[in-house]
Amino acid sequence: MDIIVRTVSRILFPLIILIGSFTALHGHLTPGGAFPAGAIIATGFALLVLVFSEGDVEHKLTRNELIDLKSVSGILLIILILSIGATFRENLLSTQIPLNIWSGGFTLFSNIAGMFMVITAIVLIIYSMVRE
Amino acid sequence: MKKKRIEKNRIAGYTVLILLAAILSISVVYLPEFGSFQNKKVALFYLRNGLIFTGSANIVNSIVWDFRGYDTMGEETVLFAATMGVFLIIRRKRYGYNR
Repeated sequence: MDIIVRTVSRILFPLIILIGSFTALHGHLTPGGAFPAGAIIATGFALLVLVFSEGDVEHKLTRNELIDLKSVSGILLIILILSIGATFRENLLSTQIPLNIWSGGFTLFSNIAGMFMVITAIVLIIYSMVRE
Repeated sequence: MKKKRIEKNRIAGYTVLILLAAILSISVVYLPEFGSFQNKKVALFYLRNGLIFTGSANIVNSIVWDFRGYDTMGEETVLFAATMGVFLIIRRKRYGYNR
């Protein structure tokens, strides 16, 4: 693509990642959460695929890495959610002050794992759709 | 003989559909008014106790990941299944599906 578009997207990509990570990490304090955060970060990767070629992006972040990440985060998410039954109302981290980053029990970790699930799903779909 | 049975089945199907439509139409009358707070004990429970029980200030997040965590697990499973479905449909045998 154009050099202007390439330069701007090179500057914009880290900012998109930053906003997405903020949305996930502060999901239990501010509006947002795992699903919007994953959608934002996957949009950044979609921008990269659109501006640069698909092969360049896939060279940096391969399909197998994405599948590994997806499996690990999925297993983590299942463990976290199944542990609700044991720890509901008395979360392991529930002794903290509200509106602190370490409040909300497992919600922070669930948000991170869910974000990775959404990112990998959307980026994998983009990869396989673009090649077609 | 076969035609008669099909005709019977069709009449039965129409009857069931009309009954269902009638029941649904009648039940619309008994719905609570739009925006009213009658019979919303569950919503009020979440609003009042979400912060106390889960400790997260975002009420939506506390519902999604704590009160209804199993539902969210199912959502993630659906996401996983959707990705695998796309992979299955759009794979090229020339490259091998795992490349």
